[in-house]
Amino acid sequence: MVRFKNRYVLCEVVSEEPRCRQCIEDRAVSLAVRDAVGRVHGDYGLGCVSVSFTGGDPSGEPRLETRPGRASSGPVKYLNAYTGVVLLRCRKDACGLLCSALPFVRQLESRNQRYPCVLNTLHIGGTIRTCQKFLIQYNRRQMLLLLQNCTNEEDRRCIQKSLLSCSLTEEPSKSGDEEDDDGTETD
Amino acid sequence: MSGAREKKRAKKMRNQPASVTLLAEPGPFSGGGSSRACPSPGDVRSEQQNLQQKFSNQSSGPSYRKDHYFPKGQNRGERGRGRGGWQGGRQSVSEEMPKYITVSTFAQARAAEIKAMLKAVTQKSSNSLVFQTLPRHMRRRAMSHNIKRLPRRLQEIAKKEAEKAVHQKKEQSKTKCRKARRRHINLVAEFNRRQRKNIWLETHIWHAKRFHMIKKWGYCLGDSPTEKCYRACYRAMTKHCLLQDLSYYCCLELTGKENELLKQLARICSIDTGLTFEEACCLSGRFEGSLNLYRADRYPEDMLGPVTFIWKPRDGSENRHLWIWMHPAVKQDILRELQAIFQCSEPEEIYIPEPVTSIQEEKQMDVVLSPGKKRKKEDKEGEKAVPVKKIIGDGTRDPCQSYSWVSQATGIVISDRTMEILRYRLIGPLSHSVLTETLKAASLQTEKADSETELNNWWVENCKDSAKVSLHERQSAIFELLQGISSPSEMPPGTILGLTVGDPRVNLPKKKTKTMPDFKKFQDNDKVRHLYLAGVPVDCAHSFIWNQDICKNVTENKISEQELNHMRAQLLVPGSHLDLGPSESKIPILLVQQPGKVAGEDLPGWGSGWDIYLPKGWGMAFWIPFIYRGVRVGGLQEALKHSEYQRTPHTPNDFPDCQAGMQFAKELEASLLEKFKRRPPAKRANYVKLGTLSPFICPWGQLTKNWEGRMIASGEFVHPTSPHPDHCATEGQSSCGPETEVVKESSPETGEVETTMEITSSEDALKTEDATGTQDISERDQTMTASDFIVLRSQKVLMQLSAWCYPTAGKDRRIRLISRLGQKELTEDVFLPMLMRYPRALVWVHLSLLRKGNPELHAMICIPTKDDLLRLSKDKLFCGPQEPRHRDIFKQKVQKLKEEKKKKKKKDNMKAIESDPTSFPDKETTEEYEDLILGLWPDALPDVTSHCSRTLLGYVTRGDFSLAVGCGEALGFVSLTGLLYMLHNQPADKKGLVLLRSPASLQYRFARLNIEV
Repeated sequence: MVRFKNRYVLCEVVSEEPRCRQCIEDRAVSLAVRDAVGRVHGDYGLGCVSVSFTGGDPSGEPRLETRPGRASSGPVKYLNAYTGVVLLRCRKDACGLLCSALPFVRQLESRNQRYPCVLNTLHIGGTIRTCQKFLIQYNRRQMLLLLQNCTNEEDRRCIQKSLLSCSLTEEPSKSGDEEDDDGTETD
Repeated sequence: MSGAREKKRAKKMRNQPASVTLLAEPGPFSGGGSSRACPSPGDVRSEQQNLQQKFSNQSSGPSYRKDHYFPKGQNRGERGRGRGGWQGGRQSVSEEMPKYITVSTFAQARAAEIKAMLKAVTQKSSNSLVFQTLPRHMRRRAMSHNIKRLPRRLQEIAKKEAEKAVHQKKEQSKTKCRKARRRHINLVAEFNRRQRKNIWLETHIWHAKRFHMIKKWGYCLGDSPTEKCYRACYRAMTKHCLLQDLSYYCCLELTGKENELLKQLARICSIDTGLTFEEACCLSGRFEGSLNLYRADRYPEDMLGPVTFIWKPRDGSENRHLWIWMHPAVKQDILRELQAIFQCSEPEEIYIPEPVTSIQEEKQMDVVLSPGKKRKKEDKEGEKAVPVKKIIGDGTRDPCQSYSWVSQATGIVISDRTMEILRYRLIGPLSHSVLTETLKAASLQTEKADSETELNNWWVENCKDSAKVSLHERQSAIFELLQGISSPSEMPPGTILGLTVGDPRVNLPKKKTKTMPDFKKFQDNDKVRHLYLAGVPVDCAHSFIWNQDICKNVTENKISEQELNHMRAQLLVPGSHLDLGPSESKIPILLVQQPGKVAGEDLPGWGSGWDIYLPKGWGMAFWIPFIYRGVRVGGLQEALKHSEYQRTPHTPNDFPDCQAGMQFAKELEASLLEKFKRRPPAKRANYVKLGTLSPFICPWGQLTKNWEGRMIASGEFVHPTSPHPDHCATEGQSSCGPETEVVKESSPETGEVETTMEITSSEDALKTEDATGTQDISERDQTMTASDFIVLRSQKVLMQLSAWCYPTAGKDRRIRLISRLGQKELTEDVFLPMLMRYPRALVWVHLSLLRKGNPELHAMICIPTKDDLLRLSKDKLFCGPQEPRHRDIFKQKVQKLKEEKKKKKKKDNMKAIESDPTSFPDKETTEEYEDLILGLWPDALPDVTSHCSRTLLGYVTRGDFSLAVGCGEALGFVSLTGLLYMLHNQPADKKGLVLLRSPASLQYRFARLNIEV
């Protein structure tokens, strides 16, 4: 199969300021990352990293045309403001440039507000799918850690409840090709 | 991007998690791709609670504080919104951001993420099948075929996939093997099924193997041969013989008393157009006539269509029979009109329509026979199924309808005999030789071949009557004489010869040979000369084909091909002549001469030939022997070319005033437009720039209306103040005497006309008009309101126009013509009444190009300016003027609309993303702009005549390079008003010169216009 190989960098936005999370959105993150790459590697690095930033779909196929307002066109393939998880994409050979620049992201800016933060790289994967798998594992580990460190009973119940809630239940879905065989995999 | 691709992508993205942001304010990017990609509802509901959390710095184990900052469930109001999980709660985060995180929200956020990711991970992402996603080392042979080779956990999915694939596959036909399908009974059943909608001719299978077949008028007809044929068919028409199957033509038989018939029939045709049904030589049954039918008493409007008719020769009885043959496209109109004028409304019950029963039988058989039972029934109904194929109904008729109507008052019977009589047409000079070689007159027979069968019963009876025997002998003698005539055009036009012939399959040549005329028989004896001059006598036109019982007998008792071959195989000397003796069938036929080109001056008699009428069932039996005589077979296209070279209007293309013609024009427009739209926009001709208002259809109505308007508006046409009157006068003097006298005589009336000048007061002018003006004014007024335009078919007027079209100076041809035809000079007093009478008329004209050029369909016929004519006479190489390029005034409009549409679409999309993803862009807005196509005029056309630099006169309906003449030739219609205007203003030696311009070109070409009567 001939295709452009990508690398997906899964990272976590770490910030002291809770209000930082409202900055966690596509544009702000991608701007910050671009800015960092530009600062560290100059125009060359920015160019290398930006190649894959222009649109695309998660399967990794190159998509030449950009469709503003539809798919996320920046490097950010997925982000979750509540957990602070960000998934970035770049070309395989530009991965080093991107990864080395990520520590230099120092703040996120949006709507004229600026919050200091740090990007913590969790995982680098070849497909979105592996990143998603890693994210499941990672979150699960965190939840378990939380459960262990729990001090009062109410919190414990809360965590257990949410743990139970995160399993996929068998939905009466009309689209027959979904397979829900993973109820056992979750704790 | 195409919709399909979008859909596919949407399906793929369905389970992918969407980005989740805090919705502080509804920003443009807040939703990301959530319209398609959000997780299914309900998975992250907990997040809507307005509780926040704070991350600590450690990645492995985040620290957190367990203080509640906000009470739970503050902002639950928007829970009910169905779609996205994350974006539910809108909060004013910026103001009240928590300082601390809580355990529960932290856990819930992660739980929700896990769930979303799980969903994304577990479903297969690609379009590939299950076994394709397996790693290579787990692949097994024939995995796609045998589900059990897959790992057990995937078998369920694979099973589902396999079922789906089966559904998508086409259903296999029930009769599987070819042998079963080709079994005779099944084959016939299949053929009958296939011709349920479009009837096949008897020669269908022969044609289908060699022709491009098209479905038209309820029939399956051969369009043109698949081999190279254009020039070959032309050669066959001019030098040899071209055969055509015209069995799809419809025949109506009228039976009744002669005067009853004639009285009513006179209402639907007019003596003005030439023949009527009363024409003496046609009425006797000697000749075939052709005429145009109009709705009763409505001449010259409400044209029904052209027909040919044959009277059965008088045979002593009171009732006369009349065959009216017409094209299937015009049949329904004519039939309805005939029923109306004869008041034949009730169907006749005596005549049980045969095809009906057979078709029903067939249908029943189809239903009853299940595959298992077929063989049992074969011997019973299978035999019946065989003749079913041959007895064919009629495509233009509902099979359950009766096809015979009787009038109570007069006893006139109209019966529809379509497909009962076959009709082949032989075109070309050698059609004589082909006919005489193929057909042999039947031998006399006095005893029955077999007492059991009815074979030749009628012939034996007939041979006992000496009068009839002598008639048969005379007929066959004349038929023999035909060999001595070199071309069918030498016979009087429309000659009818009845004949009874033997089975043509018996004397089939061993090889396909080309018939050549036998020069030995070209004796110039008295008999042949007598045949030239007197034609075929009346009684020889009699044929048994008029007798339906005999036809039925002949059809039913045909020896099948199989039997014939069997008998051939049993001959003692293989390949010797098969003599069937008394059991040879006798077939009554009718031969009708087709006159070919009669109008005009050049190529007289071109394209003449013979039509042969056969009883049904005998189609292939006559077809193959003809083919073996080396004729070439043509289809519809060749018929079109034939009529084009003959310069006769072709049904239904060239009858714009009848219903079928209008229908045809509409269909043609639709197909041309579709073809136009199929091209990429950059490669299309911009007809607005070319100044072509309607490239796909001829707006006859508007053309005539505009010319009428011009005539009324412009005073100069009515009183020509330009030097024309004196030049006319001088010319009148220069030409021979009587004409000038006419001019002088009618001059006072001219003055009168000039003073009144309005159409309403044109009665006087009408009265001055000679015999042609028979209609009263009230009817004429109706004409103007009822129909848009008429086609001028009055022979007298056409003759006059034709004479006017020739140049008067130069070769001086016109004086001769005038003296021959006794025509009048082209002056106002002659043509004004004509204009008054036919304010909106079209004239059928023929155009031949002077120099270069190849006219195309819908080319425009325009009036040359004086400059053009001047340059033409000066410059030998001058091909014609150029139309200046027009500006496309619609271009900007179209572009603006396009942009607006795009913008709107975009906006709609944005809206869809922002607010409700289920909303679609309104369909109405997109439909609005459909009719504006770049390069075509939108509906309302401006004045068609004055749109271009040269005044428009008419349109070409058919045009091509003519092989017969060797230059470009076109046929078309021009407005009568425009034509007279042009002829009146043209100098004497340049009369009849027009300009032709193809719709997709700016170049005008000179052509000579003439009217052939």
